Amino acid sequence: MTTITSFRSAVTAQGLTKVYGSGDAAVHALRGIDVEFATRAFTAIMGPSGSGKSTLMHCLAGLDSVTDGHVSIGDVEITRLNDKRLTMLRRERVGFIFQAFNLLPTLTAEQNILLPLQIAGRQPDQALFDRVIDTVGLRDRLRHKPSQLSGGQQQRVAVARALISKPEVIFADEPTGNLDSRSGAEVLSFLRTSVRELGQTIVMVTHDPVAASYADRVVFLRDGLLVRELEQPTPQTVLDTLVALEA
Amino acid sequence: MFRTTIAGLLAHRLRLLLTSLAIILGVGFIAGTFVLTDTIDAGFSQSFTAAADKIDVAVLAKDEENPLPPSLLAKVGSVAGVKDAQPVVSGEAALIGKDGKTIGELVTAGVAFPSYRMDLTSGSAPVSDGEAVVDTNTAKTEGFRIGDTIAVLDDKNARHEFRLVGTFDVGVDQSLAARGAVAYTPATAMRMTGAKGYAEIDVTTAGPSRESLRTAIAAVAGSGATVQTGEELASDLAASNGASTEYLKIGLLLFGVVALLVAGLVIYNTFGILVAQRMRELALLRCIGATRRQVFGSIVLESTIVGLVSSVLGLGAGLGMGGLAVFLLNTFSPDVEVPTGTVTLSPQTIVIGLATGLIMTVVAALLPARQATKVAPVAALRTQTEEHTFRTGVVRIVFAVIFGLAAAGLTYMGVTAKPDESALMTVMAGGILAFFSVLILGPVLVTPLSGLAGWLPGRLFGVPGRLATENSRRNPKRSATTTIALTIGVTLMTFMAVLTATMRATADQELDSQFVADYRVAAQTGDVPHAVAEALRGHPELATVAEFREAEGRLDDKDYPIGTVTSSVLESTMRPKATSGSTDGFKPGTVMIADYVAEHLKIKVGDDVRIGTEKDATPLRVVAILDSESLLPSITVPEQFFAERFGKVDDNQILIIAADGADQDKARAIVDNAAQPYPAVKVTSSTEIRDQFDDAIGGILSVITGLLGLAIVISLLGIANTLSLSVHERTRESALLRALGLKRGQLRGMLTIEALILGLVGALVGTVLGIVYGWAATETIAESVSFQLPVGQILLFIAASGLAGVLAAVLPARRAARTSIVGSLASD
Repeated sequence: MTTITSFRSAVTAQGLTKVYGSGDAAVHALRGIDVEFATRAFTAIMGPSGSGKSTLMHCLAGLDSVTDGHVSIGDVEITRLNDKRLTMLRRERVGFIFQAFNLLPTLTAEQNILLPLQIAGRQPDQALFDRVIDTVGLRDRLRHKPSQLSGGQQQRVAVARALISKPEVIFADEPTGNLDSRSGAEVLSFLRTSVRELGQTIVMVTHDPVAASYADRVVFLRDGLLVRELEQPTPQTVLDTLVALEA
Repeated sequence: MFRTTIAGLLAHRLRLLLTSLAIILGVGFIAGTFVLTDTIDAGFSQSFTAAADKIDVAVLAKDEENPLPPSLLAKVGSVAGVKDAQPVVSGEAALIGKDGKTIGELVTAGVAFPSYRMDLTSGSAPVSDGEAVVDTNTAKTEGFRIGDTIAVLDDKNARHEFRLVGTFDVGVDQSLAARGAVAYTPATAMRMTGAKGYAEIDVTTAGPSRESLRTAIAAVAGSGATVQTGEELASDLAASNGASTEYLKIGLLLFGVVALLVAGLVIYNTFGILVAQRMRELALLRCIGATRRQVFGSIVLESTIVGLVSSVLGLGAGLGMGGLAVFLLNTFSPDVEVPTGTVTLSPQTIVIGLATGLIMTVVAALLPARQATKVAPVAALRTQTEEHTFRTGVVRIVFAVIFGLAAAGLTYMGVTAKPDESALMTVMAGGILAFFSVLILGPVLVTPLSGLAGWLPGRLFGVPGRLATENSRRNPKRSATTTIALTIGVTLMTFMAVLTATMRATADQELDSQFVADYRVAAQTGDVPHAVAEALRGHPELATVAEFREAEGRLDDKDYPIGTVTSSVLESTMRPKATSGSTDGFKPGTVMIADYVAEHLKIKVGDDVRIGTEKDATPLRVVAILDSESLLPSITVPEQFFAERFGKVDDNQILIIAADGADQDKARAIVDNAAQPYPAVKVTSSTEIRDQFDDAIGGILSVITGLLGLAIVISLLGIANTLSLSVHERTRESALLRALGLKRGQLRGMLTIEALILGLVGALVGTVLGIVYGWAATETIAESVSFQLPVGQILLFIAASGLAGVLAAVLPARRAARTSIVGSLASD
């Protein structure tokens, strides 16, 4: 992490525009968004359904192409990269946690956790591995296949996998969407702990005010535009802001 | 439900295309076989009808040994109502080529037939004694032109010259086509061939009906002749030819059945996967009130439509394949003229093609359809599809063991039994049971085998390699069905390769032990003049020159050919094997007898037998019973005894062994020179014979391998199908891997390796089965075979299967790699 502390932001977007389709059928998912995500911070992206929050995350992570504008991760402007470079960038600098289908069913928990490192051909840092495993409490589940794990355990494996490669930023897309509230709370605590203790940067898309309250900062989207921000949110302030936006 | 099924079919039409292709190829091959043989049959019967059209009545000799007496011609000619009666003469005419030797392996035919039956391609028919025509192919290969002088040996091997006045087409006569033919006037033909009569007399009518003329001629023809009308002659000839296309048909159909069997497995697998993927859709149908029967019916209906459409397309493909085969046959086999009619689909072909394709498809879809009825309606509400877990059931193991034991038992029985046809059949039955055992055990075998096949790729290609190995075994049932289709083709190919390699090695070994001579000198017609052997003696390059002679004689008052051989052969490396007694005791006053003669006449070593001519026979002591495969005459007497009884007889063959270390070219030149003055005397070397044999057996193997290639192609469609369906199933997984940093190429590579592993697993099982049963089969063919494992060929099959798998992966892998990550993650 020390190598990038000289940069103010982990992820920056300027004038980010995304249009699906063309002509009459054109859908303007993002209409020019300027946003920065600080390093070592836990930021949540919120908004009503169709506000463009998932599209924003996909564009920020280099999973989807942008129609106009720039996105940088660290010092690399990803909007200029071809598929191969983007893939390499994801390998080296980005971690992902999805809502579901996070794990390969053929691999054990441990193999799933180590997968990004193996794809990149890197050796795992044993000390970090132990620390991550103990943090998420999966030591006795390492040899299990995903089908033998509960939903909460599966998401914890996904968190561990995202953490193990020490990425510059982790993108989490509704990571607790499929979990009961207790498991969800566990996963969110791990995410917060990894920011506080391991210095990780996390950008999380969610529609759950309680989940958003675990973040340091919440940005609100509506109709493809960034409309509001909250620092040090609580479930109540997030909910109030959402209600205000819907009005 | 009907409308739902149609809508579903239209929605999945691309996916069903590969399945259809498998059926189309299978049905196409079967239909093509019928088209080809029908076309050939039609062509033959057309040609025969056309030929017979010119003949009103034909008088045929009942057997070739007793031709029609020449006097019959005048008798037939004088029957009232006969306009014209002309003889057909058939015999041998050893035509001498430009190299001064008689042409070809078989003696050229010497014939005469009515000019209206002669299909001249240039020049005119022979009208005088000094004129002759040759068939078009021979003229072409030998470079004969009209006006050239050609030389032909008569039945006494005396040389005669003729002026070539034309060339003619032999038409559908397979024997003339294979041998080549010289046609003369009837009188010349009789003189040259030494024929004692006519093979046939062709009659044209001056007015009476064919039927009445036939009756009138039959009255004068006598008992040695068959009298037929032109129509009867044509249908007889066509029927005897139809019998030979029947073999071709059955042979080709066997391959067609294999192809259809493989196609059936592909269909079974595809429907199985389609049902698995549509679990939620089917469950939804059940939720809104569809009965189990309706769900079952919808799958069966789907397979019926697919089967019907594909079979119709298959018939079209069959027409194309049959037409192509006819075209290739006409273009690339100038030696054997195959007449062909118009290429058509007969009603029989249509019925058989449609029925086999349809039944195959529907039967293959029945099990998947039953599976579909087991979907619980609540499955529609589950979001995540379940991983297919496979547990080895007790029933599966029990059945596999039963089949395996039965297979082992039958195979053991067959291998240890006396080699004959029933032993081979027993082994084959064992092989089929063993295949079923493997089929049942497939899902159990796939996991360790894919681990084995994936070991190297896993090491070489890192994460994609290891993931591919895992993927190839994640649904063992599906992988097993996919690979077993390939296994069938590879098993049969390996089986044939082992069989032919072993036969080749065994034949080589036999040639080595039996045909120990380096050169063989024999005459195409008649005997080898003694002068040849004289010319061969006294050369240091030749170690042994053994003359073999035979004459008609008597053994214990029964007619037997009596022979002798130059006695030095017994001390040479050609020394024959004796099954009892010893060739060492062979001296004046003794005889050696081949085992089959001895067995027949119950003669033992030490017996005395009377040998000689009808008037003068002498008792000789039997000193050895010879192995039937020995080259010696079946009754071998000492040279001097032979000379005293039978006088000066020419050699029927001379075997020569070159001296150790002698210059091969020089030795060959000496032998060639000795034979040079005699056109009919030809020299062959053991290497030539071996090469010919190798060529023939290699040709057979490549034809069979080519035909089995169809089964391989169909099984590849199966691999491509399974893979593309798996790709579809794993869309989100692929997207996740891409998000985690797997490059497009790596994702493609992963799928390619998966296909490679599937191909290798199929090939591994196939080669093991093929080798085991190839070995077992050779054990039932002869007592002592030298088993030969064609390692190179088998490795080639394995490599080709792997490569084929890789090819099958090209399209699915491309599609998987192209899919956008975001779209796949979002898709439900």
